[in-house]
Amino acid sequence: MDYERKKNLREPEQTNEAADSEVSTHEQGSIEVFKARDKETKRYVALKKVLMENEKEGFPITALREIKILQLLKYENVVNLLEICRTKATPYNRFKSTFYLVFEFCEHDLAGLLSNVNVKFSLGEIKKVMQQLLNGLFFIHYNKILHRDMKAANILITKSGCLKLADFGLARAFSANKGQATRYTNRVVTLWYRPPELLLGERNYGPPIDLWGAGCIMAEMWTRSPIMQGSTEQHQLNLISQLCGSITPEVWPGVQNLELFNKLDLPKGQKRKVKERLKPYVRCQYALDLLDKLLTLNPNQRLDADAALNHDFFWMDPPPADLEKMLSHHTTSMFEFLAPPRRRGMQPHPQQQRPPVQQQNPDQHYDRVF
Amino acid sequence: MYLQQWILDKQDLLRERESDQKVLSEEEYQKIIIFFANFIQSLGEHLKFRQQVIATATVYFKRYYARNSLRSIDPLLMAPTCAFLASKVEEFGVLSNNRLITTCQQVVKNKYGYAYGSTEFPYRISQVLECEFYLLESMDCCLILYHPYRPLLQYAQDLNQSENSSDSLLQLSWRIVNDSLRTDVALLYPPFMIALAALHMASVMQQRDTKTWFAELAVDLDKVLEVTKHILGLYELWKNYDEKKEIGSLLNKMPKPKTAPSRPPSQGPSAQDLPQQGGSQSSQPTQQDT
Repeated sequence: MDYERKKNLREPEQTNEAADSEVSTHEQGSIEVFKARDKETKRYVALKKVLMENEKEGFPITALREIKILQLLKYENVVNLLEICRTKATPYNRFKSTFYLVFEFCEHDLAGLLSNVNVKFSLGEIKKVMQQLLNGLFFIHYNKILHRDMKAANILITKSGCLKLADFGLARAFSANKGQATRYTNRVVTLWYRPPELLLGERNYGPPIDLWGAGCIMAEMWTRSPIMQGSTEQHQLNLISQLCGSITPEVWPGVQNLELFNKLDLPKGQKRKVKERLKPYVRCQYALDLLDKLLTLNPNQRLDADAALNHDFFWMDPPPADLEKMLSHHTTSMFEFLAPPRRRGMQPHPQQQRPPVQQQNPDQHYDRVF
Repeated sequence: MYLQQWILDKQDLLRERESDQKVLSEEEYQKIIIFFANFIQSLGEHLKFRQQVIATATVYFKRYYARNSLRSIDPLLMAPTCAFLASKVEEFGVLSNNRLITTCQQVVKNKYGYAYGSTEFPYRISQVLECEFYLLESMDCCLILYHPYRPLLQYAQDLNQSENSSDSLLQLSWRIVNDSLRTDVALLYPPFMIALAALHMASVMQQRDTKTWFAELAVDLDKVLEVTKHILGLYELWKNYDEKKEIGSLLNKMPKPKTAPSRPPSQGPSAQDLPQQGGSQSSQPTQQDT
């Protein structure tokens, strides 16, 4: 009932007000996100516009899933959906209002923080980030939800250091019914964070796909840029094989039955070098061990969120440390889309680039990015 | 939280219906809602929906009219809209627009000729898509529904073990739950209570002794009995009711939108509550978008 009233207080105000120079709208995929302020409480929120892309579909099924899932998932480490609002239907928009998902505002995203050289994470702070991330994953998996788009840009961090999994636009519920093979789409997860089973065409997948992404993000905490930046699915599999060893039925029984196993050219004779290649960046042996176990080729052997949280990494000195103090040095919002283009020489390897993710780029071949 | 928001109070329900019941008696109102619940059921069966999807569509329909007058949007448009949204929310997949509209046309023509005569299903997909907005808004985007079917399965299984009953009990209770979609109970009581009421009624009908099993439940049995009364009320109504004969004139009597459906049904719930002139005059629901 007071939905209407609230709505009027919170017309999406595109914040071009002076104080908000750090804010802009950005399009990620087909989604526009705004920063806005609740006129009454003065609280900042993020507005995600529901784009009516496919007119025939009506209200998009992805938006319905996101609403449905986020109404179900209320948790510290999951982005908080405050409400749904809409613009008033007037003759000017032919009585068609626009729907917005209203989220609590988070100041930073992890990709933005990692691309800023002035932001430095101590080992304890990295532990805190990973612990919260895995906590979030544990919670959503416990509630039978797959995120399906793990990447640094979808990890939000508030200025007080609380991490939130965000963007459930690709998420869906999964059935734990092991006997019945499911047929989900495998066209999910940004290429650089996509696990080997999806790349090989698996359609009966589950929570391990999100844990692979968690492993990639964890490595990125030290390398500061995505560790496997493939330009095509084939290229991504090459990069994975070079890091995690050849994909064979010996290390991964049953892999030969996946649809694309015989159709793609998988590098043979590659040795597993996860620890070896990450060692120059990651000095902590527990961290290396956890990385090794998250970046496991065989999804059935990959650590789940619960086991990862019990790993020694989180229980040996130094303990996880709050992020608030470190973040208080950085008062402007850091989002990936706001980050300045990285200058040559600033980064160990200048050829890195983030978006566009799915584009083929035959000119560039970075087999080793770190 | 979302569950509680949508367990309504009997008084609220009556208040929201006041304007419609200036035109229709309580019983006539119920008959119209039953008619459209049947319509959604037929539609769902033609579209090969699981019962769960049909139940969701039916409860969406009830929730919309629990907050809005029949006058706000023609239920003949709202019914397929609920089916359309429910199929997406329940992951049944997006219906092809053509299929939805053709199915509506067929169902109206072949199954409900007694209600609509020779009038064809008058709506197009653009109107369904528009109606979906109002539906979502009216429900505050609360999309997740729980139905009595799952708790019913659990109770029946538990009862099976302790009382050595059979599947026929479950089958009968299941049908009673289906019937309960034609009453207000889905708006008034949590799903597990409806499941218990159905199970209780079924065991009485089949003369099973389930007294001890029910006695051991930590449940407010008075509430369960209230649910039972609602459902028995429906059976009572069905006894002397010939839908084929009556529904045509009831639909004529039903309050109808005055303007084209491209207008918002209401600006806030209070605006449409004031009844306009009694007994509506138009004969068939043929208002068109312009």
